[in-house]
Amino acid sequence: MNEKRTTASPPADAQTFVGSDETRGILRGLSRGFSFVLASKTATVGLVIVLFWVVVAIFAPFLTLYTPYEQDWMSPNAGPSSEHILGTDELGRDLWSRLIYGARVVLVILPITENFWIPGGTALWGVLIALLIGTTLGLVSGYYGAWIDELVMRLLDAMMAVPIILLYLLIMASLGASAINVVIAMTIVGTPGIARLVRSLTLDIKTREYVKSAQTRGESPLYIMFIEILPNARGPIIVDSMLRVGYAIFAMGTLGFLGLGMPPPSPDWGSMVAKGREFILMGSPWASLWPSIAIASLVVGLNLLADGLREESMRYQ
Amino acid sequence: MIHTHENSDQPVIEVIDLGIAYETRSGDVEAVRGVSFSVKPGQTLGLVGESGCGKSTIAFGIVNFLGANGKITGGSIRFQGNELISRSDAELKRLRGNRIAMVYQDPMQALNPSVRIGDQLSEVLTCHTDMTGKEAWERSIAMLERVYMPDPADIMNRYTHQLSGGQQQRVVIAMAMLNNPALLIMDEPTTALDVTVEAAVLDLIEELKDEFQTANIFITHNLGVVARVSDFLCVMYAGEMVETGTAEDIFKRPRHPYTMGLLASVPRLGESKTDSILQPIRGRVPPPAARPRDACVFAPRCDYATDECREDRPSLIPMGTDHRARCIYAREIESRQRTRRRTEDKNLVQDVGERQLDQEELLRIDNLKVYYRQESNSVVSILGLGEKSYVRAVDDVSVRLSMGHTLGIVGESGCGKSTLVKGLIGLEPVTDGSLEFMGIDIQHTVSQRESQLIKEMQMVFQNPDSTLNPSYAVGRQIARPIRRFKTVPRKQVRNEVIRLLKAVRLGEAYYDRLPRQLSGGEKQRVGIARALASRPDLIICDEPVSALDVSVQAAVINLLLEIQQTFGSSMIFIAHDLSVVRFFSDDIAVMYLGQVVEIGPAESIYDPPYHPYTEALLSAVPIPDPEAEQKVLRLSGTIPSALNPPAGCRFHTRCPRRSEMLPHGGKICEEQIPPWQSGGRGHRILCHIPIEKLSTIDPVVHNSA
Amino acid sequence: MGKFILRRFLLLLLTMVLVSMAVFLITESSPGNVARNVLGSFVTPEQEQSFLVQMGLDKPAYQRYVYWLVGSDWHASSKTGFPLRRITSEEGFEEWWALRDDGSLVRWKLSGDDLISVVKQPDGTTSEHVDNDAWSRDDSGVSRFWGIDTRNHAVLWEKGSDLKVWTFIMGTGWMKTSGGPTEYLPLKKGFIRGDPGVSLRTGRPVSKSLFPRLRNSLVLAGIAFTIVMPLALVLGLLAGVKEGSFKDRFLSIGGMTFSVIPEFATGIFLILIMSVWLGLVPGATVFGEKAPWQRLDMLILPVLTLTLIELGYILRITRASMVEVMRAPYIRTAFLKGLPYWRIIVRHAVRNALMAPITVIMLHVNWLMGGIVIVEVVFGYPGLGKYLLDSALFKDINALQAGAMILVLLAVGTQFVADIVYTFLNPRIRYT
Repeated sequence: MNEKRTTASPPADAQTFVGSDETRGILRGLSRGFSFVLASKTATVGLVIVLFWVVVAIFAPFLTLYTPYEQDWMSPNAGPSSEHILGTDELGRDLWSRLIYGARVVLVILPITENFWIPGGTALWGVLIALLIGTTLGLVSGYYGAWIDELVMRLLDAMMAVPIILLYLLIMASLGASAINVVIAMTIVGTPGIARLVRSLTLDIKTREYVKSAQTRGESPLYIMFIEILPNARGPIIVDSMLRVGYAIFAMGTLGFLGLGMPPPSPDWGSMVAKGREFILMGSPWASLWPSIAIASLVVGLNLLADGLREESMRYQ
Repeated sequence: MIHTHENSDQPVIEVIDLGIAYETRSGDVEAVRGVSFSVKPGQTLGLVGESGCGKSTIAFGIVNFLGANGKITGGSIRFQGNELISRSDAELKRLRGNRIAMVYQDPMQALNPSVRIGDQLSEVLTCHTDMTGKEAWERSIAMLERVYMPDPADIMNRYTHQLSGGQQQRVVIAMAMLNNPALLIMDEPTTALDVTVEAAVLDLIEELKDEFQTANIFITHNLGVVARVSDFLCVMYAGEMVETGTAEDIFKRPRHPYTMGLLASVPRLGESKTDSILQPIRGRVPPPAARPRDACVFAPRCDYATDECREDRPSLIPMGTDHRARCIYAREIESRQRTRRRTEDKNLVQDVGERQLDQEELLRIDNLKVYYRQESNSVVSILGLGEKSYVRAVDDVSVRLSMGHTLGIVGESGCGKSTLVKGLIGLEPVTDGSLEFMGIDIQHTVSQRESQLIKEMQMVFQNPDSTLNPSYAVGRQIARPIRRFKTVPRKQVRNEVIRLLKAVRLGEAYYDRLPRQLSGGEKQRVGIARALASRPDLIICDEPVSALDVSVQAAVINLLLEIQQTFGSSMIFIAHDLSVVRFFSDDIAVMYLGQVVEIGPAESIYDPPYHPYTEALLSAVPIPDPEAEQKVLRLSGTIPSALNPPAGCRFHTRCPRRSEMLPHGGKICEEQIPPWQSGGRGHRILCHIPIEKLSTIDPVVHNSA
Repeated sequence: MGKFILRRFLLLLLTMVLVSMAVFLITESSPGNVARNVLGSFVTPEQEQSFLVQMGLDKPAYQRYVYWLVGSDWHASSKTGFPLRRITSEEGFEEWWALRDDGSLVRWKLSGDDLISVVKQPDGTTSEHVDNDAWSRDDSGVSRFWGIDTRNHAVLWEKGSDLKVWTFIMGTGWMKTSGGPTEYLPLKKGFIRGDPGVSLRTGRPVSKSLFPRLRNSLVLAGIAFTIVMPLALVLGLLAGVKEGSFKDRFLSIGGMTFSVIPEFATGIFLILIMSVWLGLVPGATVFGEKAPWQRLDMLILPVLTLTLIELGYILRITRASMVEVMRAPYIRTAFLKGLPYWRIIVRHAVRNALMAPITVIMLHVNWLMGGIVIVEVVFGYPGLGKYLLDSALFKDINALQAGAMILVLLAVGTQFVADIVYTFLNPRIRYT
């Protein structure tokens, strides 16, 4: 169809919010985002799964009788029972506790040292930092073009040419295993992809007339990049970030599984699987089964959410 | 099996009371209703209307290709006497591409990028007939020849991207004609083309229709084009057919207020702001879901509407043999098809001559050159070696603009008009030449200019959908230049924005709206307000109305005129539509391939002596008057590359006049750069042909009036 | 088009150089770490220092990079004044010797102030001679000699310096000797000449153990790839033909689910179901002396795991591309030309739809490698991935660097191939 379909304007009462321009904008954005999610079945299912893990992770201490380190020598490698609802691992530690405390590290806290942590999960920080660097690189590269673009793109190409698993191995081999290093690894891995996405969006948006208008006003490149261009790239960036958080969780699991993740005895999903793997063929699969399911469900949930959002925003356009 | 009647009195296609709807989440939305027409062999029916009125939907409804959520809700479509609705897909497939063929708006998109042209053509034959591949190939070559494609055998082996836009459209037309269809549906076939190319394609369509006796349905929003090609017209508005009749009747005696409004809102070629007024239709086309079901759909925008109009849906009222209009007052209201003569309020816009303007020069451009480096991907150029090639986008251009005047710049795509403006406003570095604004040298790019200088030059852009930043409310976007240039004290910014909104006929209510809540015309007004915010001396309008619907165009043009009057701004007005430029400008420069070829007062451009290129442009302009007599002068070939422009006169490769008007077939044009010749009153032509000879040429248009 | 390919090739070279620097920098960023990792944390500072010097890790990074990349023998050769030869001893160790004019091979060692030359005759016998004439005395009266020692270094001895040297011998431990050289230059041919050095873990040349591992991995990846590619492309096209149909939703949600579950989780699920509960196939790979293709039953689960995860990804990309193509105006044109459905799909849609995924799929080889590492670990498969992981955990930098470069070479190489394939598929590039 070559006919332009004008989108129906929202009902007039959408304007009756009270408050400043900014809060109104944010509220409007939030409510729009939320109705967006609910409009898509896929996204709703995804949101439910993700919310489940977030809630469980936040309230972990209240949801279990055991700490993740408590060992029950009487019943190692036990199956689910009334005492240990998901069973125990080879040291008799409660799997449910380890599972939900593991979720904490992924989604809620970033352990800096043994006793000090900052809020925001390891996976989230990995994506956030990559997002900051990648967005800046992408904006600069796309907006300025010419040799800056060429330089940045060649560097990113080189980064992307390195197999990701190799980056992990190299980083972990030279830096060692810790939450911070996991964040560093994920930042390095995530940055090129985000930069490329933002660059392509920038290349598109910078041809728009409102950008030309800003240029003819003599606005500074910083203003144009961050005020005129970036806000209009947010949709794809948000969807992409969601996928990336999913991927970061995937990657954390992989690192843990390879023994490159959180140092033991931290409850780390990946290393739980790796430890439990030794006992599968001996008939006690639980220790590796549960964390596998946990990672799988969380990543699938994030992907469903992102997919649903993307479909919905395309329909909206 | 569908029988073919080759009886020329029988309509090929007969559509009766057609209704089409789209399924959406909130229920069915009616896109088209109550459409009836018929087309006989050798006739063209023009379906005309603004965007969103359901023209294309009808076209795809006829071939039942409405997409997953479209469906025909009622009526009948009879093709060669047989009902098409509820026919099986297999039967329709046999008709499509065989008896019914289509031509589309964007030929680049309509052709497969990775299949050779020859394969795309010949498969139409091999799949509908039992022709062998070789025969089909030969036939395809013959058809390409028929559509005047140069070197057809070679074209067959090429890919889409290797052809120019005009050539691509010829391929699509050839593809449609291969099976000698009974019905040819054309959906905006020339909209994406330049005006001279458009004229040639329209000629071709006309010729083929006569030769093959096809019944044509021609869909367009362009009144001029439809006047040129159609025998009968259907005027569509908001999914309804509001008027139908012969082209002559409708252009001469429109009976529906919407048709009248449309005709009154476009300037005729040659009309200017000093002698006529454009009359816009207020409001906008309602979206399908918001259309009144049991009332006249046009009532909300109609000046004649009464309560009666809002009570019931009017039926088509016959006015003559073929002429019908869907308006209860069709017989009573006076026919008012023309733009109004400016008599009573002559004081609003005065002729430049009478205006005793202060003739101070505002802008002076001398020998301006803007070259781009051609980015080459070769290895040599990566290493920074090898010859650098330049696109000579603007090459040796000199123009002047006086205070309070409007300079129009016309030319087809790629002629350098946009680059000229970019150089002027400082978005593109100037390669050579001088630029003076109010006596100040402005060679620098915008980042090196004083903000006092920047604020004096602002732009109005072309595309309403991208002129505003979708992320911010209207008020904030207008306020930004005010804050930046400190036009008013901080506390008064909001009031100033509201004042500007009012100046562009939008109220305070628009302050907090987001761009997506506005219509195209409203966005364009906000764009104008934003340009005005810094109180510039010079406003540059880059095709400000060409992306707007016809009825809205007029309102924006009027607004710009009014602003110029009140604020006394000078303007540069870029457009490819010669009627609009003529209407709006005091002086006009015609550009071709990076150079100005003719420049002078507006009226002098539209009468002899012409530069041969101007003459060709003027004779290509579609005039919304079927009776206007227009000279047929067509350009051959395609526009040369600006990387390596022709020597001598840049236009010599396509000039239709040089061989007849110059000795030795115009050999001089290939060798020497032509001189500027003066035609008096500042009118100058860049041509070797003596101006006396050029003056003897007939005017391009004889207006019927 | 030739220019395009040449350009890509130059970029490939550039990428390789950049990546090799990065790999080198990351692995050798902290030599102290390397020493402690190899020697354990109870090493004394003296021992560590001695180890670093012998490894050549005291040299500046750029010099080490050049040695690592193109070898150090040419440099050593110019210092000693002899051409150098590398031979493989009967025990399978590599030895460097200087070649004398008479065709005999020679190395040196220091005994007190005496320089002893160890001469190897062409027949294989060795004899030792005092070779004090080789000392060269400089203006300040110090006697120096550049020669080849018995542990594959070019070394600079200084008469009377009497340096104490700590030598670490795998399996034996620390040995303290006196009369050590003042400067070491470890001999190697360099990566691009096929010698990535000696494994710190085994003491054997890395290349010896690397290539069988690479072969095993390629077998695994090859089988998985040949199953995945056609299957995923066909399923992706099928799903994309009719957007939103049941087939589409089923395939894309299914594909997505499998592609986002980590390989180790899929592997665990498969072992549980197929091996533990159903007992159909072995849950681990133990080849012993056999080559992987001689025990195909053991390959089933690893291949299946890889297939599931790769299938989903490629399927989704192909589907998205097909969906976009099916919406394109030229497909509408084809429909309105009245062409048969299959002809539209095959001739007009598929070719355009495959263009985009090809490059993305080849980029995905990077991920496939990740998948292989995990799968090898899950199933204990003796491939390159497992070798790399073990090297990384042991901080065996020579092995890690070599393995890394091989992986990068494969990754960049496939991207180059993808570029060429893309050029052939896309006439827009072919004809410009």
